[in-house]
Amino acid sequence: MILFFLTSGLFLGWSLGANDASHIFGSAVGSKMVTFRKAAIIASAFFIVGAVVQGSGTSHTLDKLGAVNAIGGSFTLALAAAITIYMMTKFALPISTTQAIVGAIIGWNFFTGNHTDSKTLGKIVSAWIAGPVIGAAFAVLLYIIVKWFKKSARIHLIKFESYIRTGLILVGAFGAYSLGANNIANVMGVFVPAFHLNDLHLWIFTLSSSQQLFLIGGLACAAGILTYSWKVMNTIGNNILELSSEAALVVVLAQALVLFIFSSTLLSNLFIRIGLPPIPMVPVSSSQVIVGCILGIGLYKGARNINFRVLGEIGLGWIISPVASGLLTFILLFFMKNIFGINVGSKALESVSTSDLTTNMAMYGQPDVSGIIKYLLLGLLIFGTIGIIFYILLENKKRKEMQRSEEKFWKNMK
Amino acid sequence: MPVFTRTTKNLIIKIDEFFDDIDLGLLVFREGIKAYLDKDMDSFHRHLQKVDNLENNADRLQREIENEMITHSILPQHRSEVSTLIDELDEIIDALKSSLNEINIEMPDIPSSLNKNFISITETSINAAEELIPAARAYFIAPYTVREKLLKVYYFESETDKLSLSTKKIIFQEMDHLDLAHKAHLRYIIHHIENISDLAQKAADLLSGMAIKIVM
Repeated sequence: MILFFLTSGLFLGWSLGANDASHIFGSAVGSKMVTFRKAAIIASAFFIVGAVVQGSGTSHTLDKLGAVNAIGGSFTLALAAAITIYMMTKFALPISTTQAIVGAIIGWNFFTGNHTDSKTLGKIVSAWIAGPVIGAAFAVLLYIIVKWFKKSARIHLIKFESYIRTGLILVGAFGAYSLGANNIANVMGVFVPAFHLNDLHLWIFTLSSSQQLFLIGGLACAAGILTYSWKVMNTIGNNILELSSEAALVVVLAQALVLFIFSSTLLSNLFIRIGLPPIPMVPVSSSQVIVGCILGIGLYKGARNINFRVLGEIGLGWIISPVASGLLTFILLFFMKNIFGINVGSKALESVSTSDLTTNMAMYGQPDVSGIIKYLLLGLLIFGTIGIIFYILLENKKRKEMQRSEEKFWKNMK
Repeated sequence: MPVFTRTTKNLIIKIDEFFDDIDLGLLVFREGIKAYLDKDMDSFHRHLQKVDNLENNADRLQREIENEMITHSILPQHRSEVSTLIDELDEIIDALKSSLNEINIEMPDIPSSLNKNFISITETSINAAEELIPAARAYFIAPYTVREKLLKVYYFESETDKLSLSTKKIIFQEMDHLDLAHKAHLRYIIHHIENISDLAQKAADLLSGMAIKIVM
């Protein structure tokens, strides 16, 4: 039963992978510098790593907005957010999972009569505004640096493009890591208080209960990237602004930096240590950041290059997604509670802390799930290794065939 | 990664070698015409053979460059333009070879009084094409300098037009002792030589657009 309740989170993860994760490599794939296959594999792997290693920071912020205190509620609001995202993705509108999940949490707060913490909401919304603005500033700055470097270094165009390509892969990996760290809370954050799994010991490291949830969410995201992100990658890469290869690199790097800033506790602590205000650990919308980055470069190059119609469509999506998600959550919660009789949560007592909730809800835990995850990881490792070997052999064969046909051609010419 | 770097290096070397072939072909063509006008047929044939070899090598390089760009997905955004540029440059060396071959087959009788005119037309036409090569090289290293380099191509092309026009005028209006077929034959040879600068201008137009696109 507990695994069934997780399915809506997995569906949401799949939607996040198909939609938000595609922003990382959208510019690179759109500018044809990196193939979709390569981009999808790198994004999937690094997203999972980012989610597991650094995903806990932002999930606390969502907890403060509304700590969903029943697994039925977690299931319902993840489902509502996922359906909203799926519908928007179906119409090729790059929307934000962050906004969908925040809309869903507020919908849950309304339904259960819980108070929505306006301070936390304000922090989240201000991060949504700051994200694209910082992204645009980073993008313009980095673009100027790259352009200056290209002009003064006098590198051969082909060599420069090969550096850009390598850079796109490295920066894309960093971007996927940052996205995993920043956005996994959107997928699994609402399940964290309701689940308690045994620690999973894997040779050199141990995965805690939340990390195991983030791993499952990360795998669902990877499935979304591999199966459905192609369409959104093309929207991002080609429709807003025709991107040059160096602009594509700059966009990905600027976006990765913004996501990293809003999810790195290390950086936030460093800010505090040097006497600056801490950086809020907030899941920011990668869609908004990427649009901010592209817009920044577009404005720098002259606004005539920007396709404002697509920008307008994206803006509309930003308004629609939290509203639609909130309404859908409210309706679904009503049906879940009154028709299926599932406990979707109740008004929380102000004095009850999150840790108390975790303890109370530990009864939902199912230690066996850890065992399943262990075997799942082993299977993935084996299949991944086989896949890589197969890919290398296939590429080698193709190269040899090409070489043979070339030699044959010149032999016939003589 | 090392495999990819090797491919990149090989491609850069091949593109440079291709430009060298065109550059050398232009030099050899100029010497070939001079040898023909001096009635030094041994030297002319040697130059013809040399241009033929250079053209074959350029064809091979063109094919390899295009193949490598496609198979290794190099310069995806500029690939078609670079291929077209290489095509246009290859057309120049093709024109050099075919012009020398025409002269070799038809053996036009060029009056010695027109030697200077023919040498001038050849010089300016070849100059136009020669100025194109550094501009094409600059596209890959310093694209913002391409347009200023191309100015010389346009200058030499218009000079070639003027020279060929005045020579044609001399042939048809002042050389009454030549019959019409002879005059037409000379005009045909002039057309062949000035065609090289026209091809250079066509490639320059393409290169100019490419440079704007990459600098923006």
